[in-house]
This record gives sequence, C-alpha cells and structure tokens, in this order.
Amino acid sequence: MTKSLRRGVESSMLPIVLTSIAYASILAIGCAAITLWYASTRVFNFAHASMVSWGFYITFILYKLFDSSPYLFMPIAALITGLFGIAIYVSVIRRLIQVKASEITLMMVTLGADFVLFAFLNVVIDYLANVYRWDIRSVNIVLKDVTIATIYGVTIKGVYLVAPFSALAFLISIYMFLNMTSTGIAMRASIENPELSSILGINTDKIYALAWFIGGLLAGFSGGLLTMITQGTSSIGSDLIVLYFAGSIVGGLQNILGGLLGGLLVGLSERLIPYYLSAVFPWIYSYRFAVPLIMLVATLLLYPRGLAGLVERRWR
Amino acid sequence: MALESGLTYILMNIILNFSIYLILSLSLNIEVGFTGIPQFGRLTAALVGSIAVGGVIGRVAATLIGAPTGSEFISYNAPIITQINNYLSTHAIASITLLVLAILTAVLLGALIGLLTALPAIRLKESYLGITLLSFGEILRTITYNSPEIIGGTLGIAAPSFFSFTGAYESFAVMLFIVLMAIFCYLIAERISKSPLGRVMRAVRDSELASQVYGRDIMIVRIYAIVIGSSMAALAGALYSIFTKSVRADIFTRYSWTFLPWAYIMLGGVGNNLGVALGVIILTIARSTISIYKYEISELIPIDPVWLEYILIGMVIILLTLFRPQGILPEKPVTTVSKKELEDIKRKVASFTS
Repeated sequence: MTKSLRRGVESSMLPIVLTSIAYASILAIGCAAITLWYASTRVFNFAHASMVSWGFYITFILYKLFDSSPYLFMPIAALITGLFGIAIYVSVIRRLIQVKASEITLMMVTLGADFVLFAFLNVVIDYLANVYRWDIRSVNIVLKDVTIATIYGVTIKGVYLVAPFSALAFLISIYMFLNMTSTGIAMRASIENPELSSILGINTDKIYALAWFIGGLLAGFSGGLLTMITQGTSSIGSDLIVLYFAGSIVGGLQNILGGLLGGLLVGLSERLIPYYLSAVFPWIYSYRFAVPLIMLVATLLLYPRGLAGLVERRWR
Repeated sequence: MALESGLTYILMNIILNFSIYLILSLSLNIEVGFTGIPQFGRLTAALVGSIAVGGVIGRVAATLIGAPTGSEFISYNAPIITQINNYLSTHAIASITLLVLAILTAVLLGALIGLLTALPAIRLKESYLGITLLSFGEILRTITYNSPEIIGGTLGIAAPSFFSFTGAYESFAVMLFIVLMAIFCYLIAERISKSPLGRVMRAVRDSELASQVYGRDIMIVRIYAIVIGSSMAALAGALYSIFTKSVRADIFTRYSWTFLPWAYIMLGGVGNNLGVALGVIILTIARSTISIYKYEISELIPIDPVWLEYILIGMVIILLTLFRPQGILPEKPVTTVSKKELEDIKRKVASFTS
C-alpha cells in the first residue's frame, strides 16, 4: 500500500470513527440519565424517549429562530426537559413510590407520560407548521457546525469534541456532586437506603425530584447534541430508546459511570462493528441496529449486573 | 358496493379492529394478567403470525400454481399474488385448506417463537425481563424489515386473499371469520382462566415462593403462559394480514402491537377477560371516533388529530395507574364449577350424611 493510498483510507475512515465516538458519547449521556432514574427510584423511564425528542426539537427551533450557534441552545433545551423530569416525578412517580407500586407499574406510567409528552411535541410542531408555515415536521438537515481543524482534508467538526467532552464533564461534575456536596451525599444515602436516610432527616422526596431533574437535563442535552450529527423526526427519541436502554443495562444500572461506559460501548458497537464487518459481509450494515440489542441480551444472560458489576467486584 | 359505503364501512372497521385487538389483548392478559410476566414484546409473536401467512403460506400457494418461491416470489410478488388470487377465486376447497394451514402455521410458529424468547429470558426479573422481551421484538422487526428474503423487507408483500371464492361477499366473509376467531379465543382464555393451569398461573403471579413451596415449577408455568400467549398473538397478527391482504414488517410497531394492548387491558381490568373485552371496546370506539371526525377536529384546532389519540391513551394509562389500578372490572376469584352444580353437590353430600 502506497503512502498516499494509506492516507486516503485513513482520511475516509477518520470521520466515521469521529462520528461514531461523538454518537456514542451522546448515547452515553442519555444512558447516564436512565441509570440515575433507575438507581434512585427504580423507574425504567420510557419518557426518556420524548425527552430526547424535545431536546432535539427545542435546539432546532431555537436555532431556526435566532440563527446562532446551536450549542448555545442545548443548555436551554436541557433545562426545559429537566423541568419535564420534575413534573413527571411530582405528578405521578412520587405517589406511586409511596404506595410501593411494582417496577412494571412504574414503567407503564412513564410510558403514559411518554405518549403525552410525544403528543404535545407534535402538537407544537403541527402548530408551527400550520400557522407559521415552518417546514419542521422532519429535521432533514444536520445543523451547521463550527470547524475546529482540518486534518488530511478531513474537517474536524465541533461536535466531535463537544460530545465526548460534555460526557466527560457530566461525569466529573456528577461525581463531584455525589461525593463532595452534602446534597450529593444525601442523594447517595437515599438511593442506598431510603428509610434510614429519611430517619436521619434527609428529605428523600426532594432528593428524588432533584434526581429526576438531573435525569431530564441529561436526556434533553443528549437530544440537543443529536441535532449536530443526525437528521430526524419527532420520533427520534423512540427510535433510539431501545439503544439507550441497552446501553444502561450493559452498564449495569448501578452507577453513572457504568451507564456512561455502557452507552459508549453500545454506541461504538452499533456504528463501528458493522462498519468494519461490512468489508467482509456487505449486508451487515442494514442490521446494525440489532448489534447493540444482541449485546444487551447477551449481557443480561451472561452477566446480569453489567459493567457496574465488574467495576464493583474489583473495588471491593 | 353497498356493503362498503358510509356507516357500514365504519361499523365493519370497528368490528374488525375490536376482534383483532381483543385476541391480542387476551393473549397479553394471559401473560400479564394471569402470570405477571411484563410482556413488552407482544409484537414479536404478532409479526411471526404475519410472516406465517405471507412468507410461508404465500409460498405454499405459489407452489400450488407452479410459481417460483425463491427470490422471484418477492421481486415479482404482485403478479404472482394476482395469479394465486385468480386461482383461489375459483377453487373454494383449496382456499379453505390454505386458510386452515395458514392459521395452524401461525399458531405453531407463534408458540415456537414464544418458546425461543422465553427460554433465555424467563429467569430475569421485572423490568429486566420486560426490556429483554422488548428487545427481542425490535431485533426480529429489524431483521424482517431489512432482509427482503422473508417478507419483502421495506416494501412488504401481499397476502393471498383466502376468501376471494365468496365473490361479492368477500369482506363480509373475512369479517365473520375474524369475529368467530375472536369469540373462540375468548372462550379459550376463559377456559384457561378457570382451569388448574390458570389457578397455578395466578399463584405464581401472587407469590412465587408460595407456589414453589407447593411443589410447582414456576419456570414451567411462566413458559406455558408465554407459549400460549404468543401463539394467540400470532393468530392476531395472521388475521390482521388476512384482513389487510398485506404483510409488512413496518406495520408491527411497538405502539400498535404492544403498548395499545397494554392500555386496553389496564383500562378493562388486568386479569379479567370480560374486563379486557370491555377495555378493548371502549378504546377502539374512542380511537375510531377520533379518526372519523379527523377533519372536523383539525378545522377546530390546527393539529393532526392523531396526537389526540396519543394524549388519550397516555392519560388513560396515567390516570388508571394513579386512581384505579385494578381497571373498570376488577379481577374476581374464579369459580370452577357453576353455582347450580355446587348446589347439587351440596345436596348430595347432605343426603349421604343424613
């Protein structure tokens, strides 16, 4: 292989690898949200799907309105979905936890919340489409991104750095929050033993609401970042929810680090494994969606506690 | 044709939707209501039932008329199915045989896929089991949607019209058949509910430990529930394909084939077959009403009325879990023998002792 040819191959592969890493980091942020919800309140949150869609669309709508860098609008989108998280917790989950509802009941109720949130997102989209003649029923552009550098003729887009670094930043800040602030320590206590911590005067209700807020924040941010790498419709969240679930189960549903790692693994396996295998089996690329799901099933059957179980065992 | 106009059409649509969703919801009720298995992958078995009609029996019919069954069956599907339909419209016995074969294949393949999904997953608990079953459904749907060999992938294929021999009464015959199948399934579900198997299922649901203490293998009971439920769901999928005469993987969405039946059984009453039927009736009529008054609604508010349906289903699920988790008709203790028989036995016992 001549040098120029090798460089050609590298330059064609580099964007795919970078996009995969960005995509995997975006999934990882969402998986952290699912892990946080499950660890704190035993809720497998289906409403994550429409929170991601809301994050996606709020970012897109604000971008269309103000025509500025999309990264500015992602925190706003995340804040709004964070409020959705609190709303779901306060309106339904709190009451069901008090009556000790089963995990399945909790799951079903978040499904109901998902339908309502999904419907309202579409109502907003329809309203904008019918009244203001905005053609936004499907977002068929990837938003304009800043170019950070050019290597071998490959443009390094902003999202290639923003996505992994924000995943890292979330990880570090959540770790610092859980270990260094009194609220964070109270949260860990109420996750580990709700009864004991409420005896000690911790308001577990507030702590859970905070957990739901942070979860919504992460879900919305994950959705907002998706505008930078993919096109989609309002069902983008429910298209991806199974991957988010897969990532958080692979991560073990025990701690945020596990969730992030699981999401990374699932995202990379969905993008990179089929890409490399497609040289040998050209048909495999259309089945790439099944790869993380098979991974999920394999994890559940072989190592039900996921990556977190691995980490935990070593540390104990 | 007069049969297909206006009110008759709407009524037929409601009856067909009701029947197919009744079968689907009853199958879900056997797993969720009786046995407590969080079946979030109802679409798996339904899709398999549809494949049995289009992919398996469609090919059998093609062999019957000497058409190819390989990749040509998919790529020249429309002309082949037209030929098959021409043949079936004059051969009543062949049509009925194929129909019976289609139903049997669907049920058997449904039971098989139920077993295949149950065996690896059944030892998992609660949410984990639910997510695993959901993933199985998504895996199967991804595979069928992307591989054209099975049922034509993204384009789908047409299903033979088994009732074309009835001529002008075709749509009526299809409806009658589906309604009869729904009644049959209801009777089976009632029978299971009152049988020893049904009581063991409920025992497993209420306390795994207690039923183990009484020597029941809970894994076997749960596998039974999934196999029976899946074969019934496959029947629903097959009937849907027979009715719409098309077999497509993208129709079998999580919303329509898993979450809607969940909402139906939650509304009617989990674990109660009569309640399930009631839930299906109420929500089918509500959904049909929204779709009938679509234009009137969208003139009032500038949105697509489809979203009203989502809000309705979502609110039904939320409000029921919060305020009436047992549904409209709560589950009652089952009586295995009728009251009259009980009185007879009582009298006999009294005559012995006196």
